[in-house]
Amino acid sequence: MDLIIRNGRIVDGTGLPAYQGDLGIADGRIVHVGGRIAATAAREIDAAGRVVAPGFIDPHTHFDVQLLWDGEARPALEHGITTVVPGNCSLSLAPLKAEHRPRLVGMFQQIEEMPNAAFDGAFEWTWESFDGYLDALRAKLSVNVAPLAGHSVIRLWVMGDAATERAANAEELAAMQDLLRRCLEAGAIGLSTSFVDVDENLQPVPSRYAHFEELDALAAVLGEYGRMLQVVPEFYATDITLARVDQLAELSLAHQIPTTFSPLFDSAANPDNVSRVMARVEEQMARGARVWPQVQTRPIDISFTFDVASLLFAATPGWYRTMRLPREEKIAALRDPEQLEALIAEAEPGGDTGRFARVKVRAVTRAEDETLVGRSLGEIAAERGSTPARVMVELSLANDLDACFVATDLGHDDPARVGPLLAHPLVHIGASDGGAHIQSFATYGDTGYLFSRFVRDRHDLTLEQAVKKITADTARIWGIPQRGLLQPGFAADVTIFDAEAIARGDEVAAHDMPEGGMRYVRGAQGIDTVIVNGAVAWNAVDGYTTAATGQVVSA
Amino acid sequence: MGAEAGSEEARIERALVAPGHDGSAELLLRIRHRNGGLDSVTLDAQAAERLLDHCGANELEQLVGQSWRHLLHVLDETGA
Repeated sequence: MDLIIRNGRIVDGTGLPAYQGDLGIADGRIVHVGGRIAATAAREIDAAGRVVAPGFIDPHTHFDVQLLWDGEARPALEHGITTVVPGNCSLSLAPLKAEHRPRLVGMFQQIEEMPNAAFDGAFEWTWESFDGYLDALRAKLSVNVAPLAGHSVIRLWVMGDAATERAANAEELAAMQDLLRRCLEAGAIGLSTSFVDVDENLQPVPSRYAHFEELDALAAVLGEYGRMLQVVPEFYATDITLARVDQLAELSLAHQIPTTFSPLFDSAANPDNVSRVMARVEEQMARGARVWPQVQTRPIDISFTFDVASLLFAATPGWYRTMRLPREEKIAALRDPEQLEALIAEAEPGGDTGRFARVKVRAVTRAEDETLVGRSLGEIAAERGSTPARVMVELSLANDLDACFVATDLGHDDPARVGPLLAHPLVHIGASDGGAHIQSFATYGDTGYLFSRFVRDRHDLTLEQAVKKITADTARIWGIPQRGLLQPGFAADVTIFDAEAIARGDEVAAHDMPEGGMRYVRGAQGIDTVIVNGAVAWNAVDGYTTAATGQVVSA
Repeated sequence: MGAEAGSEEARIERALVAPGHDGSAELLLRIRHRNGGLDSVTLDAQAAERLLDHCGANELEQLVGQSWRHLLHVLDETGA
């Protein structure tokens, strides 16, 4: 054997109770699970007191670009993620003709907040076809990749500028089917489409111009391979989402394909959304359709600056009016003592400072304020003998209105509602958006949050159920063979962690994008070792290794 | 401009701020149709500002009772 993990608490992905034992690996595969292994191996890991689980699978990411210079999909790998699914929401880096690259870059910038530098010089754009893209990826992968082909780029390839003008004709439909077939043959795990996303000019992405006949024709090709259709429905409108669930069910039944939609999230503003959508999902699943709603574990945070009028201020009309003023008038109003006192009185009536006390400073431009980043306005105000609202105004003015604040846990934040939802047997835990929205919030650590919040704190899921949800269930839903379980013959993707410590770290700004570009990230807590196809890819002592044993995996 | 009560047009019944999937605050509008049906529409911050302006409203409460035609105008203007 190449590697033996000894004395671990084996949580094998089946959902069955954990048990003590050893795990043996040879040639990238699991060869022994449970009991004592008498043989020795070139490398051995003592996992006493630790959980030994299948590597986690993240089914909704946008690592398409990042993987070209960072085959580890940092920091996803160190959170125990051993397989990522990029290419969601109709966007993938292939198939793509060279002439269409600028248009795709614009879409990625708008939707994923991927900076220009990520496309200029960070990698060599050597491909047009899907298999060419996969060849470029394979050069240095440390994480496994199960890539989707994007509907928008398939449309762009076949229809050119007309992709954002009209429905496809019969000839174009046939060409799109052929192109999708080539992507699936090359290794695409399915097709992604979107009814929501817009490009950098705020115009609908190409997939949104498709009529149902086009989606049906492409789903027919998916049916030839039994592959996944991923959809972004109009999640902001429950009635339309219900119609999409019905539509996906029809496609699933007609073509015998799995489908998944994301995101589905809970919000006090729309309290019956989740129950209505889940009732429809249950109804359609009972018919034999496969329509998997993806639900994220993390609550939704809202970021804002004083430079743009955030709707967060709408509940305090005086503030909202001020925020909507032209920039110079806004600054003058905030500097005017009389107007400022009126604002403070509105935000903190009778000295009640609760409204902004939990808001945190997220980013500043002035060096002397850097120490305030990550701290709450309430803490800072207490130190200064001031109030949260006053501190927020002072910081904004001192940072030329560019001080960024974050109000945490404003949506999908009621654990008593989210916990049971995550435990629902028809809910697919996902929708992390890993690698997207990089300048707005961190999309990493959702798996750690699942264990810390919903297993350890609240007991909505057992440890075994939670592991199953993000390993075997995900592999089964997507049809990924021989992954997601600790079982002889399966790929040796393994995550070793401390069940009492696993969690997501604090959100911090990192300047690790090409040319020092900024993004928000979270480190992992409680993860000891991450093994990809039999080799240690990361451990808590040495960090990332040079193993680069990641593979392109398909259904 | 005040609420335009009395006509049979669909009207905004509620206006509230909701968290958006992309980390921004959005405006969730409940629209009551003349047949009693209830609908919802979500606007981003810029579209919400345009709606307030078009309705002559200073705050969200003043959107309640307004005709949905204001909303149609804003959606048409933004190409949504």
